[in-house]
Amino acid sequence: MTAAASETVGGTRPAARPRASASEALGRWAFRLPLIFMLVFFALPMAMTVVFSLFERTMFWMEPGFTLFSYENFFFSARLTNFLESMKYSAIAVAICFVLGFPIAVFVRRSVPQVAQHRVILLFILPFMVSEIIRVFALRPVLQRNGLVNTTLQNLGIIDEPITALLYTHTGVVIGEVLSFLPFIVFSGFLAMEAVPKYIFEVCDDLGVGPWRRFVDVILPLAAPGIFAGSVFIFVNGLGVALLPNILGGAGAVNAGLIATQAITALDFPLAMAVSAIMMATLMALLWIGHRVFDLTRILTPLS
Amino acid sequence: MLDRTAAPAVEVRGLTKTYGPVTALRDVSVSIAAGEYFVLLGPSGGGKTTLLRAIGGFHRPTAGEILLHGKEVGHLPPDKRPTTMVFQAYALFPHMSVAQNVGYGLKVAGLPKAQIADKVAQALEMVSLSPFADRRPHELSGGQQQRVQLARAFVLDRDILLLDEPLAALDAQLRKDMCLELKHLQEKVGITFIHVTHNQEEAMTVADRIALIANGDLVEYGGARDIYRAPDKAFTAGFVGENNLLAGRVAGLSGDSVAVDVADARLRIDRRGLRVAEGQEVTLSIRSEAVRLSRDTGHLEGQSIAGTYTESVYLGLTTSHRVRLSDGTEMVAREISERDDAPAPGTPVVLSWAPGTARLHVE
Amino acid sequence: MDDYANPWLHRLKWAYLLLVVLTLMAPVLYVMWISFNANGFGANAYDFTWKWYGLILSDAQLIGALRWTLALALVVTAITVPMALVAAKHYKATRNKLFPVFLLLAPLFVPPDILGSALLVSFKNANLAFVWLGDRLGTEAFDAWFRLSFLTAVIGLVIYTMPYAFVVILITMGRYRAEQTEAARACGANGWRAFRDIEFPQIRPGVLSACAFTVILVFNEYTRTSLLKGGFDTFTTVLISQMLNTGMSGQSYAMSAMVSFVAIAVIGTIILVTLIRSEALAREARAKAEPVMS
Repeated sequence: MTAAASETVGGTRPAARPRASASEALGRWAFRLPLIFMLVFFALPMAMTVVFSLFERTMFWMEPGFTLFSYENFFFSARLTNFLESMKYSAIAVAICFVLGFPIAVFVRRSVPQVAQHRVILLFILPFMVSEIIRVFALRPVLQRNGLVNTTLQNLGIIDEPITALLYTHTGVVIGEVLSFLPFIVFSGFLAMEAVPKYIFEVCDDLGVGPWRRFVDVILPLAAPGIFAGSVFIFVNGLGVALLPNILGGAGAVNAGLIATQAITALDFPLAMAVSAIMMATLMALLWIGHRVFDLTRILTPLS
Repeated sequence: MLDRTAAPAVEVRGLTKTYGPVTALRDVSVSIAAGEYFVLLGPSGGGKTTLLRAIGGFHRPTAGEILLHGKEVGHLPPDKRPTTMVFQAYALFPHMSVAQNVGYGLKVAGLPKAQIADKVAQALEMVSLSPFADRRPHELSGGQQQRVQLARAFVLDRDILLLDEPLAALDAQLRKDMCLELKHLQEKVGITFIHVTHNQEEAMTVADRIALIANGDLVEYGGARDIYRAPDKAFTAGFVGENNLLAGRVAGLSGDSVAVDVADARLRIDRRGLRVAEGQEVTLSIRSEAVRLSRDTGHLEGQSIAGTYTESVYLGLTTSHRVRLSDGTEMVAREISERDDAPAPGTPVVLSWAPGTARLHVE
Repeated sequence: MDDYANPWLHRLKWAYLLLVVLTLMAPVLYVMWISFNANGFGANAYDFTWKWYGLILSDAQLIGALRWTLALALVVTAITVPMALVAAKHYKATRNKLFPVFLLLAPLFVPPDILGSALLVSFKNANLAFVWLGDRLGTEAFDAWFRLSFLTAVIGLVIYTMPYAFVVILITMGRYRAEQTEAARACGANGWRAFRDIEFPQIRPGVLSACAFTVILVFNEYTRTSLLKGGFDTFTTVLISQMLNTGMSGQSYAMSAMVSFVAIAVIGTIILVTLIRSEALAREARAKAEPVMS
């Protein structure tokens, strides 16, 4: 008999129903604290963008009211065209990232020994060791008229005239997006490939399935939720990171993030909120569609 | 050997555990005496582990009571109960040495270091792992790891030890050796063992008593030999041993004896005090090793049945002869493999058994 | 690599992978390279020097910004990592996983400028509401609540870093077997003791990685910090104002290079330590003839 047993309830007593002691209740609330924090300081402000976007603009701030002026301002101006354009180029960036990055995830999962896989993937976080502003800014001397790319190509005799379309254009923004976000398709692709067991490759070899059919019929359906999540991440950030068009873009290369920051600089806070609300709606719609098509909860399987 | 006068070590009353719409255990009541080696046997997913974990405090019952030494413990967490547990695998602390693993419970209890070292040495001695005290768990074999778990449990001097499929991760030979070792250890320390397994051989080796649990129900419980020789329920007969189950219809009653029509034969069988009526569907069970195979007809009336020989399966020590009855049921007669003169497939044969070996089940 | 694969194709794939890493790393290496050039950015001549590193200490603006950044990084880490740890424990224990995981990972998908603007406007409105409330009650106690300050920047950065810390800790927790906590409970330890003695030592590498990530993310974050901070400058806001006006100074390059040197060293150490540890484990496993279960 141990001390633990002797300090339990004495004698027979009516069935003691499970009761929560004060410390247990406290513990339960402590576990919910992060979620409460995120609800109050993240979910609530994001939801409030809709309310604030309907407020009246004043000289320096906003006042409660109900007006659709900010939305008019967005939808019936060049802003909408810019937004749609940036969507197109952001989608192009997603496609390029996928083509360049996803094969790396497949290769690491398939051909690198299990113990080394995570470390090879960790190589792709090294670029984040320097601030994004420097990484983006450093592209200017590389892409400009007499920059690294042009001089190299000219010296090699591949081109005669420098390519000026590389900077201060949509192309420049797309290059910046690819270089900024490529690691994320590698990460999400790597996580997604968790859903594709290694024996799949052997089965495919055994059945004589070629690489293309294997990719389309087996890998893509299994890894789709993870690929989708990575793609949405890149797409939305392509729309929302103002820094990229700000430093690499030129006339017309304006995305939602830049519209929002410009609105804030111009003290048009309701417009900034309208842009945020539109971005959140876009994001929600994408996630909802993705969830309906791919069942995004499958991404979580390796995490639970 | 068992002290049945004191309060039972474990008493479970009307225990029910549900997970949302799924019922893992349904109104289970069982009483386990102090110093007993009790086995919870059953197919996987049947609820036996849930019962064990409820006794240990890892699951809170949805309804019902659990009494340990006569005290209600349903509201207590595992560390406040007089139980300790051995897990299937992965339960050793990988960042601690074997000695630290074994001494952990004592350290938590706040014992002085010298005393911990003494007790740990004793416990390791008991499971013959003394030379391995400074190893890490991953440097041990599967069997050694499970012995460390045993030592870690013994060292606490708790009087109820719960074992959750402790041998499932071991290979067949090691499992047999460890089974005997468990039995001997239990006899030596004299505390109550409650052991969960799906392996009937393991259960028969170690158990004083066995409870059969399936589909969330306690099917039946009793002495290990009784469960094997005289199962009460047809399910038990189907799960324990290698029984032939025959479906039949009651043709007549006379005193303690029942006539049952199976295939073309009318079999006579002990009523066992069961309530049966003429025309009722019943099940008969006959252990395969009690069934004899012969080619000549004209055997004991009521204790034999005719069929067609289909095949023999050589299993080394024994050979199983498979025979198809006229209603399509397959019966198995198991014999010591002494001769290699099995009948040709298609030969008409007769299966017979001694009076009293076939059992009647109604449910 | 399987036995029949073309070794050259395999090498080609490796070469491609490393080329991509190198391309992505180019700006980092470029900054490091410039930071040692006595002639600074854009100069044709290259003279190696440590000068800029020496000048960091005498650059009051940079040192001031660095102090604020470091304070932000430490406070944010002290809040984010424990919260992410608690959140990961909660996630493991709860049956409804969709809601918590959505809430904790969603900030990944909200672009910096959008999150920054939304928080900025919310904080300003909250501040105005508290000021108004204070006026009604005749107190000025609430006037500073949610005024743009160190605190608001911390909140914004905690939201930003939470998903990363959460995922890193959750992945480490994935390798932890819950049986060990139950075994500790069966040995008489209460829930908190079992966590402290058994689970935490095993997930410590993940927690430390989460700390490293959080510090690095805060150091390099610009948009959210600049929108939500009060009247102080951080490392990145100084860099941006230099870039858009005079161009980055030599010591700013040196500072950036130093930050990335330290960051790479930290990540490199993590990689090396885990490499050595898993190698050791694998060696021990190989050395043994008997099968290993865990």
